[in-house]
Parts: sequence; structure tokens; C-alpha cells
Amino acid sequence: MKPAPFDYVRARTLDEALAALDADSKILAGGQSLVPMLNMRLVRPTRVVDINALPGLDGVRARADGGLDIGALTRHSDVLTAPLVKERAPLLAAAVAHVGHRAIRNRGTIGGSLAHADPAAELPAALLALDASALIAGRGGRRRVRLDEFLVGALTTALRADEILIGIEIPDARGAGWGFAEVARRPGDFAIAGVAALVQGGRDRCDSARLVAFGAHERPVRLRGAESVIAGASASAALGEQAAARTAADCRPPDDVHATAEYRAHLVRVLSEQAVRDAMSRTAG
Amino acid sequence: MTVARVRLRVNGHAVERTVAARRSLADLLREDLGLTGTHVGCEHGVCGACTVLVDGRTARACLLLAVQLEGTEVTTVEGLTPPEGLSVLQESFRECHALQCGFCTPGMLATAHELLAENAAPTRDEIRAAIAGNLCMCTGYVNIVRAIELAARRLAR
Amino acid sequence: MTGWVGRPLARKEDARLLAGRGRYLDDVCRPGQLHAAMLRSPHAHARIAGLDAREVAAIPGVHAVLTGADAAALSHPIRPLIPTAVPLDDWCLAVDRVRYAGEPVAAVAAVDRATAEDALETIRVEYEPLPAVVDPEAALRPDSPLLYPALGTNVLWHDVLAYGDVAGAFARADGVLRERFEIQRYASTPLETFGAIAEYDAGLDAYTFWTNDQRPGLTLAILADSLGVPQSRLRLITPDIGGAFGNKRRPAYLLVCALLARQAGRPVKYVEDRLENLGALMHACNGVMDVELAYRSDGTMLGLRVRDVADEGKNLISPTQHNLIKLGNIVNGYRIGAVSYEAYSVLTTKCPSGANRGIGKPFMCFAVERAVALLARRLRLDPAELRLRNYVAREEMPYTTPPGAQYDSGDYAATLRRALERFDYRGWRERQAHARAEGRLLGIGIATSVEPAGTNLASYELITGRRAASGSAEAAMVRLEPDGRVRAALGDPACGQGYETVVAQIVADELGLTPADVHVERGFDSATTPWLYLSGNYSNKFSVTDVGAVVGAARAVRDKLLRIAAHRLEAAVDDLELAEGQARVRGVPGRGLPLRELARTAYADVLGLPPGEPPGLEARHAHQNPLAQPLGADRTVRSQLVFSNAAHCCLVEIDRLTGMVRILRHVVVHDCGRELNPLIVEGMVHGSTVHGLGAALLEEFRYDANGQLLTSTFMDYLKPTAADVPDIEVDRLEHPSPFTPLGAKGVGEGGSIPAPAAVASAVEDALAELDVTVRSLPITPERVWRWLRGR
Repeated sequence: MKPAPFDYVRARTLDEALAALDADSKILAGGQSLVPMLNMRLVRPTRVVDINALPGLDGVRARADGGLDIGALTRHSDVLTAPLVKERAPLLAAAVAHVGHRAIRNRGTIGGSLAHADPAAELPAALLALDASALIAGRGGRRRVRLDEFLVGALTTALRADEILIGIEIPDARGAGWGFAEVARRPGDFAIAGVAALVQGGRDRCDSARLVAFGAHERPVRLRGAESVIAGASASAALGEQAAARTAADCRPPDDVHATAEYRAHLVRVLSEQAVRDAMSRTAG
Repeated sequence: MTVARVRLRVNGHAVERTVAARRSLADLLREDLGLTGTHVGCEHGVCGACTVLVDGRTARACLLLAVQLEGTEVTTVEGLTPPEGLSVLQESFRECHALQCGFCTPGMLATAHELLAENAAPTRDEIRAAIAGNLCMCTGYVNIVRAIELAARRLAR
Repeated sequence: MTGWVGRPLARKEDARLLAGRGRYLDDVCRPGQLHAAMLRSPHAHARIAGLDAREVAAIPGVHAVLTGADAAALSHPIRPLIPTAVPLDDWCLAVDRVRYAGEPVAAVAAVDRATAEDALETIRVEYEPLPAVVDPEAALRPDSPLLYPALGTNVLWHDVLAYGDVAGAFARADGVLRERFEIQRYASTPLETFGAIAEYDAGLDAYTFWTNDQRPGLTLAILADSLGVPQSRLRLITPDIGGAFGNKRRPAYLLVCALLARQAGRPVKYVEDRLENLGALMHACNGVMDVELAYRSDGTMLGLRVRDVADEGKNLISPTQHNLIKLGNIVNGYRIGAVSYEAYSVLTTKCPSGANRGIGKPFMCFAVERAVALLARRLRLDPAELRLRNYVAREEMPYTTPPGAQYDSGDYAATLRRALERFDYRGWRERQAHARAEGRLLGIGIATSVEPAGTNLASYELITGRRAASGSAEAAMVRLEPDGRVRAALGDPACGQGYETVVAQIVADELGLTPADVHVERGFDSATTPWLYLSGNYSNKFSVTDVGAVVGAARAVRDKLLRIAAHRLEAAVDDLELAEGQARVRGVPGRGLPLRELARTAYADVLGLPPGEPPGLEARHAHQNPLAQPLGADRTVRSQLVFSNAAHCCLVEIDRLTGMVRILRHVVVHDCGRELNPLIVEGMVHGSTVHGLGAALLEEFRYDANGQLLTSTFMDYLKPTAADVPDIEVDRLEHPSPFTPLGAKGVGEGGSIPAPAAVASAVEDALAELDVTVRSLPITPERVWRWLRGR
């Protein structure tokens, strides 16, 4: 299983990388998704642009507003262990723990995962729950796209062929309760389905919630029906269940060799309940 | 260019090669450098047979283009083996019968090496979680877990 | 002769394997070698209307190309194990028709694999698709698409074999349990894929092959036939093999390499990649077994009727193995006096079938053990108690089953009792009740099985009506070199079982040495290793034949050493012993000669030999297991030869919300007779059991209606990882076989046979309140969820 031939550019600057991109090129960051596809000849770019040497695109930094800036080239294993992530976006750490295995996490990048946009991937869903935005560089300058708009469909994002995702901005989520639950056939596998939850509120009331299901649609999907149950509701033991009862309408899960749509919809329901319950127990009160 | 030059260090030795851009690190190690201890089992990053250390961290050699390794330090099973005899980890594997056909073993050793470098006293569950990315078709994993536990105890002394 | 055999010695081969200094097939580099890639059919079934490979030659770095037409012109068809009613030609590449997605249609040899794959893309093939047939029952129907129209059917074998008074048993019965069981396609998938290097010597018109083929005897026969070259001009060498479990053979690939090598004038290496391995090498047969179990109301099992449909995929070369093996073991460990077995071996447009760990027996055991479990439920008997009532008793051994298998020794009841004790069966039943009260779903499953070793090829006469091969045998060589050091070789190439260590232990005991003193050749080399057609790694045969070959050769060398020593020491042979590297007079420490000295006599100072004794200290011995007999007139046959047995107890917990099954404990008590190396034996039990757990919960090759494999990578075909299985707890009994030289029995397949049934029973038990019946595998979370929901 060897790739078809391609040109290789090891970009030293962002401008060099951007200049090398065209409709037939692929960006190489972690390579954990790209290289298998190259090996199987499922993709046949004429040029691979290696951005691993671009300076300043990795790292987790605190934002003044209480959120986080994470460079797109930050490896999953660094996101997992970064004290700032544990402190300001523990939902993200919880999600990353489910990504593959150590060797994959050592190379795979948060930007790569987001740009690849696998509908069953944990990170895009967690980032959507965190209301993150993608920072994108193109030849014409930079732009910022909220994840609701960035994640377009299965393996499809708002990135244009001549753009590079350079960073992720996560707004202040301190004090929010979080929950993360997924079902996979084996630890580390892509999820059959999963839910990432972020709930804002106090001990007695939930102000708002962002509930995102993955493996449940063409892209990570906001469970708006469930969110509306939670928004403004008094915190009760049954709230999770009530919210979960309203998840089906927002899902359109796939049927595939691992599970039917029906089972996935069921999982979204039970995992939502669990994620909401966990989130509620974690809200600052 | 469909070929590129890469300079890296492998098991402490400087290496410089010009290779096809599409050549994997696994193939560079095995065919260009004769380091056949790193094995290829799937070429899509799942089986873990090709696991090596890149700048001290495990990585799948089948998912790295050789040309990406510019300026890095790669350690293979040959580099984890002392000039004479076996390392504490390897000796523990031998005593515990933690290998049968031996094909997964180099990748297992790299993974175990990383685990023990970070966690000097892993629990059985932690060991199992750590090696869950290395498939073994022969041992059923029981003795591999025992071997890593034994190595941890010995290294702690 | 005790000492080293029986000790849990760490393995001699480990030092090199741990240091990355093993030498597997892909590590072997022949000067000037080229790399081959294969073009494979995208269609499950199609006529090849045209193939144009002319552009290949223009690609730099390409040195040879082979099409099906070339293969047909340059080689003879591969001779099938089971001749068909109409002769059918099967070459190493598809010629005018493809019959499974992934079937090779052309091959290219180039300077590297990437270039070879590039070259494949220039080959244009015109396919005329034909309807696929993927379901074995559908393939049986008269209106089914046919893989071989000339044959007029997809059925390669159909027969009904009946033993004992079947009608009477069913007539006498108080009841009959009827169930249909299904098993999925899966495979053992050794981590190293299959491969070969072929080298052609034009001057000698001779070929040399390096390959991780586990059945060199069989493969050399096919190579000689197909290449039209006598075996004396073929050489086959196996390096270290990264696991085999039955999967490691495909003579067609060696033929492709040979023909490419001949064309290119350079060695050609082909190593299948993982996608090729999963899609096109071999799968264990999936199939359907309809079981009827006649019983008395006290639980005594009187008779068994089985209809077994084995889906062979496109396997013209070696079908019916699964059926035959199931037949030979069909009554499992039970005293069932009457058996009727209807076998179908059916072609479908899918990956060819082949041997796998357990080959057929996991399904046989699943079906029989499930039937027993369901019978226990029906009669409200404890499943262990029901088994104990029906086991063949230790005192009845050797016991001959209706199809003719002879169970040599064992105490099946004691094995089960020990397993229940080790598992703490009573304790866990109590804990289970508490857990149920808390709403948790814990389940306990039991499964027991016999585990045969050795295959008597005479059993194939049941199918073919004639005897081409028979018995079970292996060959070995033991040699003292002129420097007095010992070297041994075995016709059975090790694939991870530690033969270099165990053979050294056996030889060391015979010659009064330590295992460190005995060098065992890595693998097989037809030029130097003694071998037979029957030589190879299959059917758990090590204990049944290989040990005998090694012991025979070692004893011949021992006897010669003693004769030479007796002559030189002027002592009686009977007064001498071999110990501590010497031949010495028993009880007289000063009177002895080191082996080195005896070797000097035998190889250099030959005038010092006893009169009439030829020079040299080498013996080659082939051991035939005496239990193998020809087919009986009543169609009984000992198709397998000695029988281990095991009992598995499995504890699972089911997540009510998701249907996920977690195996909390898995206990195995096994009896493989004398354990030659308990450390190696236990490792086999661990590994084979985990194979079974994978088959129970995770592994499945799924096809769509068009014959496309949907689970074609390791991302979708799920192997068990360390995080999916618990520690396998192992205990043992030891009832030696009276019929093997050291009393050892088979152990390699063991756990893979009953483990799936144990898991199935545990899941069913966990869902007992829902009255669920597990009839097929794998047990996925979604299936469990549907049971929990009630449909």
C-alpha cells in the first residue's frame, strides 16, 4: 500500500505554505488521517505541503477573556496534558482522551482533526460545544469562523483549498459544567456516537446549554431540542432525561457496518442524559 | 520535488538520505538503513507493529513520510537494545514469555518504554490502556502486561 | 528421561526477537530483488473480456508483467485437494473470469513496491459483471449464479454421513431440541502478512523460494506440479514467521513470484499488504448449522443430527476442511451414540476459505455447546450438571465416538469441576443474584470442548472416494557436528510456538545435555530439513508427530553415541548413560568420554569406530502417529488423533443502556496431557482464548449483496486489544496421552474453540430475564440493545 507519487514542500513560513497550496494539494500536519488515505490511494494529491515546521502554530495560551488560544499544530497529547486546558476547557481534555492511542495522539494535531471533520470524531464536537472559532489564514489575510459555520458536512469544512487552519479560539468556559460521553466498539476507536455538553448555570438553575452529538449526523450537530429543555430550567434530577427525550429530531445518524441509525439515535439519547447530568453536577454553584 | 533530502539521527547515528517524498519512515528504516527490527503490519496506523520513538515520543513509522523526520531523533528497537544483552524491559519480556512470534514485540517495547518513562508504577489497567494501540495476535496480552509490571518494579529499584 | 522437558524455560529464540534481530520474510533481501504488486478484481463476479498490459513496459523500473493468459501458458493449473466432478482449471491468476472481489488478475515486478503499484494502474481490464452470490444457502439453490457453470452447481461436496442408530435414538427420545446456529466469517490475521521471494536459476532450471508458508510439504507439491519442475530442483526456505494459525499459505502467490522472476531474470518478492490480507488471503468459513439434539427427560443426550453448510468463498483448491473437521469432533466431549451429519461445502463469490485457528471447531463447539445450554434451560437443569451427566467418563477412555474419533484420555468432568471451583461458580451465582437486585446485568457462561491434535489425511477419502494421502507424520533431524555440538531441524516451521526451545528441551533430555547446547534450526529449508508431503504446521500436530520425529532422531543419535562409547570404553552399552555432555559408565564418575571426543571418532578418526558402524552422528527420523488408520468400511475414521480438553467459565457484565458487553473474568482449565514447556503452553492458552473472545464480540468480515467486503481494514475489522479482554486465568489438569511418545497432546488451538460459546452463554445468562437465545456471532452492542428492547 504505497501512495501515488507527489511533490513535497516543507514550508518554513506561513506565506510559503499558502503559496504552495492549490486544488490538488493536501496539507500534512499530524498525518494520522492523511497518510492512511495516501497509502490506500484514496487521495492522490499532486503536492503535499508539510506545515509541521511552521513556527508559532503550536501551543496553548491563555486569553485575556478567560478562554484559550490553541495553535492548530498542537499535538493531541499536548492538549491532553496542558494545565491550561484542564483548568479552562476540561471538556476538551476529556474528548482528546478518547482519540486513538498514544502514538496517534503524539502526532495528530487539533487543527488536523478539526480540518478533517470526521463526523464521528470527538474533537470537532467538543470544540463546537465550547463555541470555539477557527482562525484561518489565506493569501488574502485571516478570517475567523465560528465552528457552527466551519463544520459543513462529512469531511467538509469552510476551509478553501488555498487556506490553512492556524488556530482555535475557545471562549471563556470557566464555571460551565461539562460532560462528555461516547460509545465506541473498543477504546480509542471512532465513536459509534457521542455527546459533548457544556451547561452554564448555577446550583439551582440552568441558564443555557450547548449539546453536541457526534456520529449522529453528517457533522457534529447541536441538539437544539434538548438544549431548549435545559435553557432556563430549574436544575432537577430529571432534567437530563427530559432533555435526552428531545434529541431524536436533531439527529440524522448514518447506517453503516458498525451500527444502524436507530441504535445511534438511541445512544445519543442515553449519552445526552449522562453528559447533561455530569455537566450539571459540575456547574459552579 | 518528488524526492527530497532528509537529515536525521537514528539510534544516535547521523543519517542523510535523498528519498522519494512518498517513502514512509518505516521503509526508510527497514530498507535504506537495514534496521529491520521495525515491522510493518497494516500501513494504516492501527496495528502498532511499526511503533518507534521520534524525539522520545511514540509514533507510527508507517504514518510518517521519511522526509518529515528532518532534524529529529528516531529510536527503534535496535536503539532500545543495549550493546550487550537485553535491557531490563526486554529481559522482563523474556522471563514472562511476553512474546510468541515476536512480530508485535518491537512496537510493544517502544510503547512500554514510553509508558514507563512517564509512569514508574502503572497499574494493570493503565498498562492495558497504554498498549491497547499495539495489536498482538499470539499472546492474548496477559504476559505482556506481567512483563511490563515486572520491568516497572525492577526499574524502580 | 526427565529433566528439561516439563520445565517452564524461557525461550531461546527470544533474545533475537526482542532485539529486533529476527529475520522475517520481508527482512530477507536477495541481491537484485524486485518487488511485485498484484492487480485485483474490483468485482465479485465478472468475465474478463479483455486485458491490456502493454503500457506497463514503458514505466521506468518495471521489469516484468504477468497476466492470467501468461500464467495459463507458463504453468499448469493448481491441483485441487478435492477433485471436482468436472476438471476445473485454477491458475495462479484469474484467466477468463474473476470470482471474488480481490482476486488477482495480473502482477507486475518493479524496482520497488510503489513503482509496481503505479504500474498496475496502467493496466486496463474490461470486465463484464456477473451476478454475485454471497449467501451460502442462496448458493445452494438451483437458480443461483454459478461460479463454475461447467460444474453445474456451487456445491463442491454434499453428503450425509450417519453413524449408529440415528432413527432409533430420535424415536426413543423424550424430546428433540432444534435450533439453527450461524457463524460469521473471521480470520486469525497473523500480524505479519503472507509473502514470498522467488529466485530462478536459469542454468539449473531451478527455483528457490523464501516464504512464511506454514505447509511447505503441501506447497512444494503444488509448486512442482504447476511449474513442471521436479522437487529436486525446488528449494523452499522459511525464515522467522510472524504468526500463522492456519492462514499462512497461498501457493498461487509463490507461482506468481516464480513466473515473474523467470521473466525478469531477477528475484521477485511479494508481500501482501493488510488490505490484500484481509480481503483476499483467506477467511474461516462462515455458515449455518441446523442442529437437532434428541434427549431423554433426565438430560441424557441420545442422538445428534446436524446439517452443516460451510461457505467456502471461491475456494476450489482446498474446500471441505471445515466440514471434515467438524464431523470428526461433532459429539464434543459427550457420550452421544448416534450421529447424522449432512455436509455442504459451497462456493460463493467471496474471499477463499482456509484454515484458521480451530478450523471449524469454534463453530462446531458453538453449535453443540449452545444446544447443550439451551437443553439445560429447557429441562431446568444446571448447565454444568447436564454436562456432567453426559460426558464421556475417564474410565471409558480410550473411547470411540460414532464418527470414529478415539478420545485417548482425559477426565472431562474433573476439568469442568476444577473450572467451576477456580471460577467460584457458587459464589458468583450469589453475587449475580445481588447484582440483579440492583439492576445490574451479570452473566455466567460455561463451555467445554475437546481439542484434537493431528489430522489423518485418510479422512479425505470420505469425500474423494480414494486415498491420495493418509496418516499424520513429521520428520526431524538430529546431528552431532564434527565439533561435538548438536544441531536439530524439524520439518514443521515454527510460527511463534517456541519450537527452538521445546525441541532443544527434548533433545537435551535424550542426549544428556542442556537446551543451551542444542541449536535448533530456525524454520524449514527443504534442502537440509527432512520433510514429507505431510510436513508443516497445522492441526495442532506438534505433540502428535513432531515430538515423535525429534525423539526418534535423538534416540538414534543417542544409541550410536553409546555404541561408540561402549566400544572405546570397552564397556557394555547397557552400563552407559549420557549425562552432562558425556557418555559415561553409570555410577563410575571417572569413566566417560565427552561428546566432542565421540564426534572426533565418528567424523575424523573413523578407524576407531566399532566394526560395521558407519561414520557420522546424524539421524533423520520420520514419526507416523500409530493412531491414524485408513477409512473404515462403515465410513468411520480417526480424522484427528489425540484429544486435549478444556472448560471455560466466562463472567460478563452488560450495560443496560448501551448494550456494551464487558468480559470481567475468563477462566480456563485445560488438560493437554504432558506439558512440554508449561510457560509456552500457558501462553498458547492465553492467546488462543483471546482469539475466541475476539470472534465472540468483535470480528466479522461483512459483505454487501454485491460481494464487496465492507470491513476491509483494521479500522473496521476489529481485533481484540489489551483493553478489550481481561487476564485469562488458567489452571490445568494433566492426563497424558497413552499414544504419543512423551504423553503430550495438542494445545495451540485450544481456547479459540470453546471461548465463543462461553461468551455467548454468559451473555444469554445475563439477559435471562428476557428469554434471549444467542444463535449467532459476533455479539455486538447493538444486538444486545435490541434484545434488551425486546426485538
